Amino acid sequence: MGKHHIPEAHGGHPNVTPLIDVVMVLIVFFMLVAKIGVSTGADPKISIPATILGSEIRDMGNVLYLNVSPMTKDSDIPIVTANVKNAATGNTEVTELKLQDPSGQNQVTNTLKFYRFGKDLKKGGTGDASDNDNFQVVIRADKEMRFAALEPVLLSCAEANVKAWNFNTAKVTEAAPAAEH
Amino acid sequence: MKMKGAKAVHYESGPNMTPLVDVVMVILIFLMLAGSFGGAEHFLASNVPMSKGGVGGDSSAVSIDEPIEIRVDSPSPDRFTALAGRISAKDGPTLTAALVRLREDLNRAGKKTADIQIKIAPARNVKVNHVVAVQEAAMLAKFEKIGFAKAH
Repeated sequence: MGKHHIPEAHGGHPNVTPLIDVVMVLIVFFMLVAKIGVSTGADPKISIPATILGSEIRDMGNVLYLNVSPMTKDSDIPIVTANVKNAATGNTEVTELKLQDPSGQNQVTNTLKFYRFGKDLKKGGTGDASDNDNFQVVIRADKEMRFAALEPVLLSCAEANVKAWNFNTAKVTEAAPAAEH
Repeated sequence: MKMKGAKAVHYESGPNMTPLVDVVMVILIFLMLAGSFGGAEHFLASNVPMSKGGVGGDSSAVSIDEPIEIRVDSPSPDRFTALAGRISAKDGPTLTAALVRLREDLNRAGKKTADIQIKIAPARNVKVNHVVAVQEAAMLAKFEKIGFAKAH
């Protein structure tokens, strides 16, 4: 079997074959790993708490991000937004969910029930109304917000029978714990 | 003056790779800039739904059948105190150490960790980062069921 050699450069032209090899490997890597154009609806402006501990969520396709921030700095009334279908425009976009809309409905609870139980918002059913037991909620809450503002969101999760919910936190290393006590 | 250098010599060196390299480099830079890898964030999970508050009693006693309630208060906006029976802590590491001892006591008394439920009961004015710090302390102490109670 003959040996393969890297082709030699001719007349002062650099050999670009190794460069193309490396660049192609990098492209394939980025194409496989990077998430492009996938919006979770996470609000990057919210300053989330930092923790040493934390885990990854494997099935991110079955997750709804709830952005929770206080209406004003010391307000106990939260503003909740999520990447859901906007009833007015029909598009999936980051939309505010009212804890009590003009008709007295809790949009947060109803949205969670929709993802958890399907169209009928009730346990059981098939097709569009089938239950989604693996549905998870990620709560992206402002670290300076008071618990009183977060409580209604947790209650909505409980009411919608969401089996797992998660605080979205920023990673810190053991050496520099950033959780303020 | 006539430039001769570029065109004077023509080699049999295969196809011209320059456009390919240009395009590939553009794709590479686009992917590097546009891609998000989610490496800076992670999640603290809770698989216990929120419950009503009001768990009482001395939760440091070994024969606990009730959930262990960690009552979290905030005497000033930048501080918190966590009380669970005889446990009292003002920071995450102290609370973690105390909860580890409590779990070990319970385990020695025959209580499985999976049967113990931690219930975090924050006051209304406790900030989210303190609530998360208490949850993290309970998780670091290797408790498996951690939930929240309504604010007191």
